[in-house]
Amino acid sequence: MSNFVSKLKSFKWKKYINYVAISIVILVFGGLSLAGGLPASTVYLLEKIAISIILAVSLSLVVGFLGELSLGHAGFMCVGAYLGGKVAAMLAKTAIGDVGKGILVLIIALIVGGACAGLCGFIVGLPALRLKGDYLAIVTLAFGEIVKVLFQNSSAESFGGPIGLSTPRFDKKYLFIIGFLVVLLTLAVIQNLIKSKHGRAITAIRDNEIAAKSTGINVTKYKLTGFIIAAVFAGLAGVIFSYSQNNISSATFDYNYSIEILVMVVLGGMGNINGSIISATLITFLNVQLQNVLKGDLAVLKDLLYALILILLVIYNNAPALKNFREKYNLGNLWHKIFKPKHDPANARDDAARWDVVPTKISMDEVLSTDVLIDTTGDNSADIGERGGNK
Amino acid sequence: MDFIITLVNGLSLGGIYAMIALGYTMVYGIAKMLNFAHGDIIMVGGYTILLFLPINPVLAIVAAIVFCVIVGIVIERFAYKPLRGSSPLAVLITAIGVSTLLQSLAQVLFGSAPKIKQINLGALQLGDLKIDYSTIITLVCSIIVMVVLNLFVKHTKTGRAMVAVSEDKGAAQLMGINVNHIIMVTFAIGSALAALAGLFYFLKVQTMTTTFGALPGIKAFTAAVIGGIGSIPGAMVGGLLLGIVECVCQSIPELSSYTDAIEFSILIVILLVKPTGILGKKRREKV
Amino acid sequence: MKIRVLSLILAIVLTLGMVGVLSSCGETNYAENNTKIKIGASGPLTGGAAIYGIAVRNSAMLAVAEINAIEAAGGEGTLGLQFEFEMYDDKHDPTNVPTGYANLFENGMQVSLGTVTTKPGLEFKVLAKDDNVFFLTPSATGDAVPEFSNGYQMCFADSNQGGASARYFNENYQGKKVGVFYKSDDEYSKGIYDQFVATLDKSFGTPVAAPFTGDANTFDSQIQLLKDCDVIFMPIYYTPASQFMTQGKSTVKANAIYYGCDGLDGIDAIDGFDIKSIPQEVSYLSHFNSNATSGPAKVFIDKYNAAYDTAKEPLNQFGAAAYDCVWAIYEAMKVAKANGKEIPANIAPSDLCNILTEVFNGDFTFHGITGKTEGDNKSTISWESSGYVNKEAIKYVVKEANA
Repeated sequence: MSNFVSKLKSFKWKKYINYVAISIVILVFGGLSLAGGLPASTVYLLEKIAISIILAVSLSLVVGFLGELSLGHAGFMCVGAYLGGKVAAMLAKTAIGDVGKGILVLIIALIVGGACAGLCGFIVGLPALRLKGDYLAIVTLAFGEIVKVLFQNSSAESFGGPIGLSTPRFDKKYLFIIGFLVVLLTLAVIQNLIKSKHGRAITAIRDNEIAAKSTGINVTKYKLTGFIIAAVFAGLAGVIFSYSQNNISSATFDYNYSIEILVMVVLGGMGNINGSIISATLITFLNVQLQNVLKGDLAVLKDLLYALILILLVIYNNAPALKNFREKYNLGNLWHKIFKPKHDPANARDDAARWDVVPTKISMDEVLSTDVLIDTTGDNSADIGERGGNK
Repeated sequence: MDFIITLVNGLSLGGIYAMIALGYTMVYGIAKMLNFAHGDIIMVGGYTILLFLPINPVLAIVAAIVFCVIVGIVIERFAYKPLRGSSPLAVLITAIGVSTLLQSLAQVLFGSAPKIKQINLGALQLGDLKIDYSTIITLVCSIIVMVVLNLFVKHTKTGRAMVAVSEDKGAAQLMGINVNHIIMVTFAIGSALAALAGLFYFLKVQTMTTTFGALPGIKAFTAAVIGGIGSIPGAMVGGLLLGIVECVCQSIPELSSYTDAIEFSILIVILLVKPTGILGKKRREKV
Repeated sequence: MKIRVLSLILAIVLTLGMVGVLSSCGETNYAENNTKIKIGASGPLTGGAAIYGIAVRNSAMLAVAEINAIEAAGGEGTLGLQFEFEMYDDKHDPTNVPTGYANLFENGMQVSLGTVTTKPGLEFKVLAKDDNVFFLTPSATGDAVPEFSNGYQMCFADSNQGGASARYFNENYQGKKVGVFYKSDDEYSKGIYDQFVATLDKSFGTPVAAPFTGDANTFDSQIQLLKDCDVIFMPIYYTPASQFMTQGKSTVKANAIYYGCDGLDGIDAIDGFDIKSIPQEVSYLSHFNSNATSGPAKVFIDKYNAAYDTAKEPLNQFGAAAYDCVWAIYEAMKVAKANGKEIPANIAPSDLCNILTEVFNGDFTFHGITGKTEGDNKSTISWESSGYVNKEAIKYVVKEANA
């Protein structure tokens, strides 16, 4: 038993905190749901949250770690939803539709949807090798819109045309559990990728592509890998989505949806997976709750509030002028002040070994820019002092 | 004959796209940011015109330009300026927030029902060919604006300063250029162009809704990228090209439903062949 | 590795324990504590389609207020119940429907007006079927909306509108050149268009098709395609139709006829749209004329105008249909009561659904303001067991052609 306790103590909770948190969510809500104690509104909310987390974490790989701006993530989701949903709809009527309450069909749909989305990821990843920054962003946006138009103009027999594709709905008691299991899979794949040497290669490409190339990193391979993996998981999210609806229409997957996912990633902090998870959860939750709370004439105010909060949050998080303020009054510091009042040298760790804190991008402009103030007006010298640890 | 009419229609639509694309290109070239709220400034201009039109048409145009410039400067000052020097993504997200903010504000103020104002400027009859005067005005104005803008950038002090800022902000500052001031002027010019575009677009559709600027905004953005974002003649070329493609596609019923897909495919193909757009400058990368 | 297995086992044990505690919970009747019959609906209150949803909300609330006044006064044949109405803003986005529906249901919704638009309706119908909630939709015209036994429509289904319009063309417009202006990525427009083309006589040849997509609002190319047509069929909503007419008034033949479906109702009420300046005839086939000057429709329009600011929240056929929906549900409940059914205020939605379906599938006829009315008499409306409505449609001429 003491062996167990010691192992429990040595278990790196911090490293696996997101797995643990999501497992707890699955167990608690899954248990409640199976017992029939969960109202439908909560179930639908959980489905939405699971889908958002998968989308945000996978987009985070492209935007946060690979450093490419993608505005077409909903397009990959669309491919997954339509193709997975189509396969599911076809198989649901056959004999395997009954195997394990349709779970086999769901797994096949997930594989098909993920694979097709991955293929699209490969196709979109190709121009990524040639294009940069905002140019790539518009190509991904264009991809999403093209996919949307193609599905919209499909015939009624194939993908339903403008009315959309009628898809089977999975028992709502279980669907969100499956959704969160896919979240775990997403985390396992993407987190392990980033922790590995491949992940370091990917962040190296983000920070300086030419330098990365000169050290022998295969830029082509890693860029494509990043795009494909992100697309596969967006496709999986699409399949879950198609199972959460009775009828999917491609109008849902327009660029506004891609932007919503991007907002989740940016608010969560670039290159911070746990941040993406938290912001995806919060934004989805707030969106749904605000929609319920603000009724009638107040409903118009929802968008207004959302926009204002978004602007203020982004400015608060990113404005260079607020840097000192942020460092003084952030939650992390508060936490430390309350729970760890004394600096304990035993807690010191090597930052470079931590996978979840990827060093922020250092652009050459910034280093060379005249903005680096070397004057001695007190404030800055104190700043430098702090960093140097002379305090 | 039909094809000529389609072409004229395309040019008139393209002229509007070009005007908006010019604004996009200016802001992108100098502030290095995608101003997603640009389309909504067009909407602001449209509503201003609608409000003041019953009083006096000239007053309406002036009011739209003045008001759009003020809105543009206010947005720049309070939403974008605090973020100068932070990641471009943060600015992009703020721009999206501003876009939503403007649209929902318009909905609170004007309601969601569309508002129509019928304006007929008459048409020029050339044999069988009938061209609306609004089409001609749009085209002529967008060409004039492009030429003036080009001259302004090349030959005035402020214009040269703009080029300097777009090349290298830090170095420009060292040369004594007030970067903040230049960026503000850029936004003012971009917003004034948006107001003009709002006027011409309004002449064409004659309907105001809260999403008035969203569609031409995204189309013009595409046009700016096709032409080479940051390049003033490029915006013109991209806008006209896109307008013509759109009208040609729509005049063929079988292709009509695919118009958006075709436009975006052209964009992708052009970018693959020439990664910086038709007239975009190739940037050498510093190591 | 061991540790993970162990913690997993621990968690499973905990969960099973919880399951044991909670397994006593069964199906809940969320309407248990209702003191009023709660009517729920889902529709766009914000966004581009908000005018339709707002008209539905306002009109339904008007009907509820009238019914409550009658019920409060009591008397022969009343139910002794009060009603309330709750609407969820789905923004015409089907992905909002599951949460919206669940919220309505958990707030105690017992009977519903379904959704205002078709796409959310396709989502709503399955959820309502699972809980067995009765819905009578004012304006979700999709053919598949009343698929299940608990769903009914107050409006004409898309294919019925397309077919009826084509039959009207066959009878009245023989020998004329027909064109269609429609929105190819919209389920309402495309649905009507497909049925229209299928029903149209071969003698017309193939009608000239001029589709558009998305939020397009410049129609130069479509006008160019349709400029030689004598009759232009417009199965679209009134906003793009008014834009088409405004932009094409000098190019399209001056004696041409614009012929639409119920989506065109309200076209003359658009702020700033001067329909008299359009030289062509504007007409549509519908069940309600929001410009009526006499009859029951006029009575309703006056009530609506008195209660709401029509400049901001204009009335259209969506609203009239919603008004009829609420009254039809009320009348059906009265019929059920006369047949000896008990309807308490906290009746379970499923029980109410069974009662109402029985009435609607029987020989229930309702007299309302939508459909063909003569003089001050209300129209006669009945339902097929498939959920489609039976009432007479009328061609309304909004504006005659200029001579």
